[in-house]
Amino acid sequence: MKVLIVEDEPKTADYLERGLREQGYVVDVARDGLDGKHMALEYEYDVIVLDVMLPGTDGFSVLHALRERKQTPVIMLTARDRVDDRVRGLREGADDYLVKPFSFLELVARLQALTRRSRGQEAMQLRIADLQIDLLARKAWRNGQRLDLTAKEFALLAALARRKGEILSKTTIAELVWDVNFDSDTNVVEVAVKRLRSKLDDPFRPTLLHTVRGMGYVLEVREQSEDA
Amino acid sequence: MKLSISQRLAAMFAVASFVTLAVLGVAMHGLLKRELGRHQDNELQARWQMYRPFIMRNDEAAYWGHIRSKFDNSLSENSRVRVWVLSDDRRFRYGSELTAEQLRSAVTASFGQVRLPDQQEPFKTYSAMVEARGERPAVRLMVGIDSTPFVETLQSFTVGLVALTIVGALGAAALGYYIAGVGLRPVERLSGEAQALSPGRLSRRLQTDTLAPELSKLADSFNGALARLEAAYQQLEAFNADVAHELRTPLGNLIGQTQVTLSRERSVTELKEALHSNLEDLERLRAIVNDMLFLARADRGERAPNRIEVSIAQEVAHAVEYLEFIFEEAGVRVRIEGDAQASIETSLFRRAVTNLLQNAVQHAPRGAEIVVSVLQQPGAIRVSVRNTGSGIAREHLSRLFDRFYRVDSSRSGSRENHGLGLAIVRAVATMHGGTVFAESDDGATTIGFTVACA
Repeated sequence: MKVLIVEDEPKTADYLERGLREQGYVVDVARDGLDGKHMALEYEYDVIVLDVMLPGTDGFSVLHALRERKQTPVIMLTARDRVDDRVRGLREGADDYLVKPFSFLELVARLQALTRRSRGQEAMQLRIADLQIDLLARKAWRNGQRLDLTAKEFALLAALARRKGEILSKTTIAELVWDVNFDSDTNVVEVAVKRLRSKLDDPFRPTLLHTVRGMGYVLEVREQSEDA
Repeated sequence: MKLSISQRLAAMFAVASFVTLAVLGVAMHGLLKRELGRHQDNELQARWQMYRPFIMRNDEAAYWGHIRSKFDNSLSENSRVRVWVLSDDRRFRYGSELTAEQLRSAVTASFGQVRLPDQQEPFKTYSAMVEARGERPAVRLMVGIDSTPFVETLQSFTVGLVALTIVGALGAAALGYYIAGVGLRPVERLSGEAQALSPGRLSRRLQTDTLAPELSKLADSFNGALARLEAAYQQLEAFNADVAHELRTPLGNLIGQTQVTLSRERSVTELKEALHSNLEDLERLRAIVNDMLFLARADRGERAPNRIEVSIAQEVAHAVEYLEFIFEEAGVRVRIEGDAQASIETSLFRRAVTNLLQNAVQHAPRGAEIVVSVLQQPGAIRVSVRNTGSGIAREHLSRLFDRFYRVDSSRSGSRENHGLGLAIVRAVATMHGGTVFAESDDGATTIGFTVACA
């Protein structure tokens, strides 16, 4: 998977480059609008992360130039939380946008959504260690025992299981499980995870649902539990 | 060029008095001319009557020389007056020779005028026939008087009038300038006072009690604007202070914790722990900044852009579903009453309702019921969340929707709640053309908002 990052802020560009590389992406970085436009047009990328405020040529003109020739998916990064910028970005052919400050996990989630082309062929049966999930029948078992989950608990488990090994932020979980796309002061996700854990992990070994402090939750098999 | 009010008033006074005086002058000039003319005519007729007996009493040509000397005598003392006796008979004539031209203008009517070669102004004349007697045929007696004094009087009067008009206009201008200056003195005082206002002394107002009614109205409006400005300014200042305060705690944590961590050799686990902790604080900062940006959007007057027509009760139900686990944990039930259709931006609306419910559940005792009611009102839809429990004191109610305002100050700094929840409710209401409200008595608290509907 090849990503072009067009970003002039050095620290932002550096952490994005490192983070995405570690996520398994091949990353190119352009430090201004002109380089960005050149690279976006000359080379093939699976997705482009494009900052709006750039020296040389701004993000909109890069997008404009790109869309005249290519349909590479683009995520715009806007520093100002202005509807104008977002509407303008989407109208001119951006596929998604993120408002700074954004979380890195959020960016990864959006990138995956844009590049995960054929989710239709997804398996209906998921298996992690002794956990078995039937997405169609909406049922789950551990060690052969049926887990008695409510609808929301199952939705949470399914969301985590589909992205096994990926850290899901609370915001992403709220969006996937409750279709809520705003920040709120509630600790709904914590409560839901606690409930799921009591049914999924408390009676069984190994522990599958892990908390990553400050980031979110991940469903995976670990050598030993690192839960805080 | 821009004229001052005093200058303008002075100019207007000048124009007004000039026009008045000019009209008066023209009228007086006309009147005087007519009066002077009448006076001349009267004098001519009187003189004619005076000289007529000279001729009447005489009927012999031989005696005409005596008449001539009598006329000469009578006229020598007054060069203004001339007399002519016109007759076909050369013997009965008197006065200087007149050309036919001169005669015509004098004789065609009883009043006429004769232009004499040695005089600048024409003579005004009156002539009439004196009937024949004895040897003397009927003769025409013509009396002329010099119109120079009349013309001169009229001229000097005209000059006087023009001079008076100009001087009067200039005087009015000067006086007007002075009067305007005096009249505008309160304005100057007012502007002096206004100049003395500065951001540091925002609570100062213009003195209105000593002002004229016209100005006090202006000053009142100005004071009103000042009051609004002061409120906005104070809100901004308080807001900046609040933001600084809210950001200070997580920033302090971040710096301190990072310094402590870096001051010794640490194990990977310890380093990880520090980074996780930093991340929590950073996430909190991000959430505050994002919420502040959101509130700023509403402050700028932005309206909800992506509205769709939906059932309000269904949207409320969605928010209730989201918080279901929270309600179960807290042991409270939620009931939704009423419904209405409205055009709203669903994510904003759900966010507002979620914040209200979150607030309610924090204050409701275990086993309580939270009631969300949706009420269709004229022009607006009212969404209120009511919870039982200890009420909120009156002094807190009005400030409940202020940013970072916390009823229970000990809750400040809680990790969950950064005190923007209800401010966001208000922002959402504003973006939907609505308002917020809060009521509380001993047993229950109702907090809610309205959204405008067409």
